[in-house]
Amino acid sequence: MTITSLLYLGFFAAVALVHYVLPRVARPYFLLVANYAFYCYDPSNRPLALVLAGATLLTWVCGLVIGKSRSKVLRVVFLLLAIAGGVGILLYYKYWNLLADAIAGITRSNIPHLDLITPLGLSYFTFAALSYSIDVFKKRCKVEPNLLHYAMFVSFFPTMITGPIERYPHLRPQMKKPRRFSYTRCAGGLFRILWGYTKKMVIADNLNLYTSFVYGTPDTMNGPNLLAASVLFAIQLYMDFSGCCDIALGVARILGYDLIENFTSPFESTSFSEFWTRWHISMTGWFRDYIYFPLGGSRCCMPRRLMNVIIVFLVSGLWHGADWRYLMWGLACGVLCAFGRLTAGVRKVVWKYNPLYRATWCKNLIQRVFVFVLFVGTLVFFASALFNADPYGVYTGIFQGWQGGIGAAWNSVQTLLHDSGIDGRLPVVLTCASLIVFAVESKGRSVARWIRAQNFVLRWTLYYAAAAALLFFGAFGQSAFIYQQF
Amino acid sequence: MAQRTPTPVPQQPQRVHRSGRVAAPAAPARKKAARKGPGLIKRFFFGLLRRLYFGTKTLSRIVLLVPILVFMVWVSYTVDRSGLFQGELAPRRIVDLMLQGYDVTNFESMDERQVVQLYAQDVPETPQVIGIGSSRVLQFTRELVGVDSFFNMGVTGADVRDNMTSYYKMVTYGKAPEVLIWSVDPWVFYGNEAAYDYRADAELYNEFLTKVLGVPTDYEEPDKVELWKALVEPAYFQGNVDYYVKNRGQDVVTDDDGNTIEFNPVTGDPYDQPTTIKRSDGSVLYDTAFRNQTQEQILALAAAASTTFNSVHMEGFDAMSDTQIQAFEAFIDYAHSQGTTVILVLSPWHPFLYNYLLNEPDMHKGFFQVEPWLRQYCAENNVPLYGSYDPECIPGIEEMDFFDGLHCKDTGIQKFFPGVPAVLEAIESNTLPAPLATTPRIGQPTGEETVTEDGTAPETGEETTGETAVSEAA
Repeated sequence: MTITSLLYLGFFAAVALVHYVLPRVARPYFLLVANYAFYCYDPSNRPLALVLAGATLLTWVCGLVIGKSRSKVLRVVFLLLAIAGGVGILLYYKYWNLLADAIAGITRSNIPHLDLITPLGLSYFTFAALSYSIDVFKKRCKVEPNLLHYAMFVSFFPTMITGPIERYPHLRPQMKKPRRFSYTRCAGGLFRILWGYTKKMVIADNLNLYTSFVYGTPDTMNGPNLLAASVLFAIQLYMDFSGCCDIALGVARILGYDLIENFTSPFESTSFSEFWTRWHISMTGWFRDYIYFPLGGSRCCMPRRLMNVIIVFLVSGLWHGADWRYLMWGLACGVLCAFGRLTAGVRKVVWKYNPLYRATWCKNLIQRVFVFVLFVGTLVFFASALFNADPYGVYTGIFQGWQGGIGAAWNSVQTLLHDSGIDGRLPVVLTCASLIVFAVESKGRSVARWIRAQNFVLRWTLYYAAAAALLFFGAFGQSAFIYQQF
Repeated sequence: MAQRTPTPVPQQPQRVHRSGRVAAPAAPARKKAARKGPGLIKRFFFGLLRRLYFGTKTLSRIVLLVPILVFMVWVSYTVDRSGLFQGELAPRRIVDLMLQGYDVTNFESMDERQVVQLYAQDVPETPQVIGIGSSRVLQFTRELVGVDSFFNMGVTGADVRDNMTSYYKMVTYGKAPEVLIWSVDPWVFYGNEAAYDYRADAELYNEFLTKVLGVPTDYEEPDKVELWKALVEPAYFQGNVDYYVKNRGQDVVTDDDGNTIEFNPVTGDPYDQPTTIKRSDGSVLYDTAFRNQTQEQILALAAAASTTFNSVHMEGFDAMSDTQIQAFEAFIDYAHSQGTTVILVLSPWHPFLYNYLLNEPDMHKGFFQVEPWLRQYCAENNVPLYGSYDPECIPGIEEMDFFDGLHCKDTGIQKFFPGVPAVLEAIESNTLPAPLATTPRIGQPTGEETVTEDGTAPETGEETTGETAVSEAA
């Protein structure tokens, strides 16, 4: 069941309706049933629901022992058991072939590759379950005696496709005392869903026509097109991923749950480190809390601190997939962040002598552009992994084919945009829509709250405009969400 | 910063009595009785009211979005570029033109079956008379039939399935005509695959057999839900908008794949066209060259057709099929039950061709059984029957009354078909011609009238009459 299908909307509408008809005490249990129904809708996922149930049961039992036991040894043993279970599932389903190759390379033995189907939302539910066990161990979270409540948290269907990676302490109080129906919340949630669909289907999926066209055969593309595709891929990825998160947050909001915000205007960051506190917040937060801090975080010497940053990004790269290009992407991000921290002091001194930095807006603009360029630069590895391209070929290709100057380069990009299907009114629509999205979401503004603050006429004009944009310019049946595969 | 815990309020020190004689403690102060909330029933009704209120409020807002859905459905249904609801674009254009009273060019490229089905769907008023059959019925025009409200639903190569489904379509749209002219071809009674035309709508025929005649087939009710889902499919809506924008105000209309639709209104004199055209009444007007062939040319065509006679849906036709006979009878009953008067027509074959068939009766056993059976059936059931496969049975018909071996011209038809008003009058006055009064030749004729061995026509010679042939055969 893809999120962009009418079936998903129908399923969600039915769930929401029954959810609010039921007494509040029964709602989490009904949602648990709905979660598993969602999970088992696709026949290929049905046997894998056991993996989800197994991971839930294991981490819950471990959490129970950790929370109730006074023996530190026992607590540690069960924490390790929970981590081994969660990470084991992740390694087995996602990285078996990579590990097999690695082990075979070391031991020179023949370890067979397995043709495994990855369970839906594997990375999301394992991380959610692991965070619970660790939080209980660290006493940041109360132990949950109700297995069904915990199972509902792990399998919560709005977060199953692309997250955000929820934390139990955040969701627990909402589950224990389900909210009453609130029309305002519902309307805000609906608009958030509509907003998400518009971002995904109008902007991201249409941009995908061009980026997939260019990255599909990067060897035959010239520098201007490779550069344009890389830049547009950054926008596409943001629209795609944040659009899906908007849908997930909107759906959860209607059901009475507030999830973690995954993006807060990342392109307004003024440093690369700051960018990662605004992009995919639930994941970076997870890595920060459960990897970076245990490694020592920033409370250690500078070289180790920098190494910790790089390690976190390497793990993040690996989380995205068993592919050396993701690893390289993580390494590149880690090195850039580490370099940023290393030079932070020096840069602050240099800025004082930079005349352009005297005007705050100019300083912000330059820094934002610089951060965006760095992001685009690292994203070449990411895009290459997605489209199975050679990233080094793309990097070298970007600097080739500029002989005709900017005019010729622009013409070349225009021609290819047209050939890829972005023609007619679509370029104007995409530009305007992107600008509107960036403007509305500026400074981490909550779209749902913002729309509720508008008067009736403007609000409904916006509803209609978003619906019309979707209907007329949405690319239906184009692609799944990029982050769905992770 | 860690929150400071508030300093606990110091309590009064309690005296500990060690003597054992302890005064009874003072009775604890009675707690204030907790304020009672509303009762269960009250809470239930309150919850119900709350749900109803918010449900209504939410629904009322959702209703505001309904115009978007309505617009989407309207565009998808009206434009319908893939022909899911209104038929494919090319046949739709043909039918639109015909309904506007235009004759349409490029008959050879038409999907006649789709045109017929779409006509049944789109015609605003039920035609009083329709004609069904193969290309041998396509010369029946409004003028010949004598009724303005006439549509010829014949299609080239029609088999029994085409015949029955054409009428069935009209009935399903609630447009059962008053009169049905059925030009019955002999292969209607042949139960072999060879009798079937690959272009016929087998699925529709199975539907007809199952639903109407109660004959079990492998027909399954199509999943209409899937079809109607297209109406709310945004991708289909976009495709329709795209198609509409591209074709709006254009002289040249394109189909779903962007190919030009080459069906246009006939300009100028329809009788002076270089290509075959479809008339607005469904009949076909062949191109000028084909219509104006000389007798020799027609004879040559008839001679060519005579050697390949069986190839037209009658390969191996040795006997009439009981199943097909039952289907035929059931169909006539069905038409009667719909209040339709059925007029059966037997369009003659070219005299040369028929004579050739008489020369090798064993090769055409099934064919020769059809007409006598039909005559018997019509006589028994009081069904009007006009014409005969045997041209000898039609007084005054000449070789020039044919286009070729198979197709009789309007001049020929006029010689055996008096027109619908006359037929209806004859039914009223019970003066229908007796079907058994005419006896077609079904055996080998005698004498020199037969064709020569090489298949060429005899130069001269008297042709045997039906009566002579039958008496000789007897």
